[in-house]
Amino acid sequence: MATVSKEIVTLSNIRVVSRARSLAYGIALMVLGAIEILWYGGASSKLNTIVQLGYNTATVMPAVGAVWRIALLLIGGGITYLAIKPQTLASFAKAITTVRGLRSVAAIVGAYLVIWPVLLWAGVNHGGQLRTFSLPVATTGYVLGAVSIATGVLMAWRRVDRSASGLLYGGLIVFMLGFLIWVARGSLPLQLTGILASAVAVSTFLIFGSVSGTLCERAGVVNIAIEGQFMAGALSSVVFVSVFHGSGMSKTLALLLAGLFGALFGWVLAVMALRYQANQVIVGVVIVAFCTAMSQFLMTQVLDVHQNLNGSFGLPVWSVPVLSKIPVLGPVLFDQNVLVFFAFAVVIISSFVLFRTRWGLRVRSVGEKPIASETVGIDVIRMRYSAVIIGGFVAGIGGAGFTLGPGSSFNYGMTSGYGYIALAIMIFGRWRPYGALMASLLFGFTIALSANLNLYLGQLVIPQQFISALPYVITILVVSGVVGRIRPPAADGVPFQRN
Amino acid sequence: MKLELRGITKRFGSMTANSNVNLVVKPGEIHCLLGENGAGKSTLMNILYGMLTPDEGQILVNDEIVTIRDPKDAVAHGIGMVHQHFMLIPVFDVADNVILGSEPVKPWPVIDYKTAIAELLVLAEKYGFEIDPRATVENLPIGTQQRVEILKALSHDASVLILDEPTAVLTPQETDAFMVILRSLKESGKSIIFITHKLREVLEIADVITVMRLGEIVGVTTPSETDERGLATMMVGREVNLVVDKNPATPGDVVLDVKDLFVEDERGLTSVKGISFEVRAGEILAVAGVQGNGQTELVEALTGMRRPSGGEVILNNVNLHGESVRKFLDAGIGHVPEDRQRFGLVLSLSISDNLVLDQLDDPKFHNRFGRNLKAIKLNGEQLRKEFDIRSQSAEEPVGALSGGNQQKVVMARELSRELKILICSQPTRGLDVGSIEFMHRQIVAIRDSGVAVIIVSSELDEVVALGDRIAVLFDGEIQDIVPPSTSREDLGLLMAGAYSREVSA
Repeated sequence: MATVSKEIVTLSNIRVVSRARSLAYGIALMVLGAIEILWYGGASSKLNTIVQLGYNTATVMPAVGAVWRIALLLIGGGITYLAIKPQTLASFAKAITTVRGLRSVAAIVGAYLVIWPVLLWAGVNHGGQLRTFSLPVATTGYVLGAVSIATGVLMAWRRVDRSASGLLYGGLIVFMLGFLIWVARGSLPLQLTGILASAVAVSTFLIFGSVSGTLCERAGVVNIAIEGQFMAGALSSVVFVSVFHGSGMSKTLALLLAGLFGALFGWVLAVMALRYQANQVIVGVVIVAFCTAMSQFLMTQVLDVHQNLNGSFGLPVWSVPVLSKIPVLGPVLFDQNVLVFFAFAVVIISSFVLFRTRWGLRVRSVGEKPIASETVGIDVIRMRYSAVIIGGFVAGIGGAGFTLGPGSSFNYGMTSGYGYIALAIMIFGRWRPYGALMASLLFGFTIALSANLNLYLGQLVIPQQFISALPYVITILVVSGVVGRIRPPAADGVPFQRN
Repeated sequence: MKLELRGITKRFGSMTANSNVNLVVKPGEIHCLLGENGAGKSTLMNILYGMLTPDEGQILVNDEIVTIRDPKDAVAHGIGMVHQHFMLIPVFDVADNVILGSEPVKPWPVIDYKTAIAELLVLAEKYGFEIDPRATVENLPIGTQQRVEILKALSHDASVLILDEPTAVLTPQETDAFMVILRSLKESGKSIIFITHKLREVLEIADVITVMRLGEIVGVTTPSETDERGLATMMVGREVNLVVDKNPATPGDVVLDVKDLFVEDERGLTSVKGISFEVRAGEILAVAGVQGNGQTELVEALTGMRRPSGGEVILNNVNLHGESVRKFLDAGIGHVPEDRQRFGLVLSLSISDNLVLDQLDDPKFHNRFGRNLKAIKLNGEQLRKEFDIRSQSAEEPVGALSGGNQQKVVMARELSRELKILICSQPTRGLDVGSIEFMHRQIVAIRDSGVAVIIVSSELDEVVALGDRIAVLFDGEIQDIVPPSTSREDLGLLMAGAYSREVSA
């Protein structure tokens, strides 16, 4: 019988909707590109911007002779070719899913060997000094604006299925680059690597927070309390390390303690929301209020009196051998404090756990349709407890990122709403850990940017406050659905009661 | 496996849902459990599956008493259940849904999908299901989703399968395919408990029929010993008229003219795609179709609850497109909504208040200070008697009434206004046979008084019994408008969207 399934028709309907959105994004990109050309190009046509691609000379590898560079290029190119043969390259999407194990490692190594000499050439000159480029602002504006417009046209024309696609991100990045070059016109050099490195550092706690939110909401519990768990983690870890005068072992234990404090508040949320069926959002807000008041109390009554309890101790910085020496990108990714690496690890582990393991499948089922889980003998409440407590643990460690990460003492109000931003990041990342990672880096970049733009205040037409508000403005846009309605777990925030 | 329920009693507060129920299911038997809504069938099966605990009584598996505290226990004793509302997770794929709760792991927490999918395919092959383990469940047709649900139960080595109203969501053709599956399951030695209220199906497939009424078993019989009339009498406890008495329609002028109507649902997807039809005074147009093919949106557009994205709704030569619900009501449209508790009634208000909800600005029901309580009360008592609404008085809250009586309140209110057209969506859903009879008589009576009527129903029997013309809706389009004498098979094909395309091709 020729059953025409209506569900499939509905799916194509959804595609139509997201294609319409793609058209809108494309048009938006075109407008941005046009602004870039008209404004940046016209306004400062005579000026140049100096772009510095290195980080600092200490971390940059000494210049390598031209012969070696060419040799590296050839070897890298050869390995890459062997790893990704032309036939697989022809359908790139397929190549990504089929290249597994050794082949993907080979591909990464090969690409790495290719990139290194190129970046080395871009980052360092013959004398081992940082290379700077002088870019004419007007021309750059024209070129980048044209690229933005082209991306927009492509998006509007192709109507890609997934609304938040690589094209959109690419187009926005090109626009941002143009914006930076325009802002830094004239005097100070634009330290691109520096901004990126601080963006990654700032992303750390956002990654922990958004992964925490993802774990909880995948199980169907809204964790608004991340902000509070941040504070608990930040305060407890710094006090613990201070008591032991910053000894190496104490720092490891302090991270654990921060996690446990986060887990404690996760447990409180779980008890209130799951056993007593209280409104999850209200319980979360109450926990944040409690943590805010508590940290202020401890700050004024204890830490201000015994200042030795609130020391500044940083986590060790780990320079990955060889990798951290990659010019330009090396220090950004591989010369950071250990918490940054933990954050990457948390993303990889949580994604694996959620999508590959028994626990993950059950957690997701409980967040989608708990009654169905119940009928196959899964204890819904227990699954939710475990997810919320583990989520709290992750958020608590993220809290340590405020104090031990940059090595500063605890300060009342230092979490400044990043716990809520983490929830927006979770949505932006579509309730997936890797999505949360990418979105965290994007938000981290805007935060680092707003900090760095202070250097160029004279150049800015926009008041500084507007730049500082940027991350929050983006949060509001994300939460209000500008990125498109992304489907949350179906039972997100819905209490479950056994009959 | 032999399954026995002995003396099961379950009470909810003062209501007894099951009282001293005894039931024996033999190995390899298709045992039909028949009864009206609220007869206690689902309660009984939820007890058997561990979703509810009985107040009294025992469950015996192979003559041994077992305790079933939760679904896990039931599964361990070889009992599987396919719920009326599928217990599938829409965004998961088939394999994830089937293995959920008993996932093979290797090494320990990592799910061993290779083994899982291999086992799934073996099982599917054994029962002749064609299924893609990696297809997302929400993209599958309902009939296939049901097979996934059955596979899930079978993968837990169920030897007794409980099927709760499995055919309610299927088109007639899917139902036929389902019957084939049932027989093959029976041949492989599974016992099946088949819950339904459709008499035809029971007579077709059952080995043993147990009839329940008001929480008690009122009879055990076999298809050879009885017929539809006999079963219906057992179910209701009195003689029932299964056929709607009505004279041929005498259609008058066109009352409602719908032209090229497009309606979007709340997700912004077009669910009514360019529908045109007209309804004349004194005729019943029945809209048939499987749930979710645009009926809800169509009715909402015709009653002003949803603004159409295109087209015209013309009532007595006035285009009502985009007007308020008030204008629609004033123009003479009566509406018996699909979800009466949500859109038809205010459950906490009294019967009398509900009866004037849409007529409060009628001078009859208000004076200069507000509502005219005396008139409202009088009106309530009058309509209560007229429509045989069973309650102590007209001042009782509507929420305390049974489904049938609630529906009577809605119907009474709509009919107490001067109507040009009455639109009833699923007018008898969830009602007992007696109330259904009453509703059908009312609908035919209003037709005979010269009002145009639209009935939207997913019950094929009702559509055929009431309609003077039948419009079949599939995927937001009218496949065809046919006379009620059309065969059930052809109607089924139209409902599946397959017929007209084959004919025109």
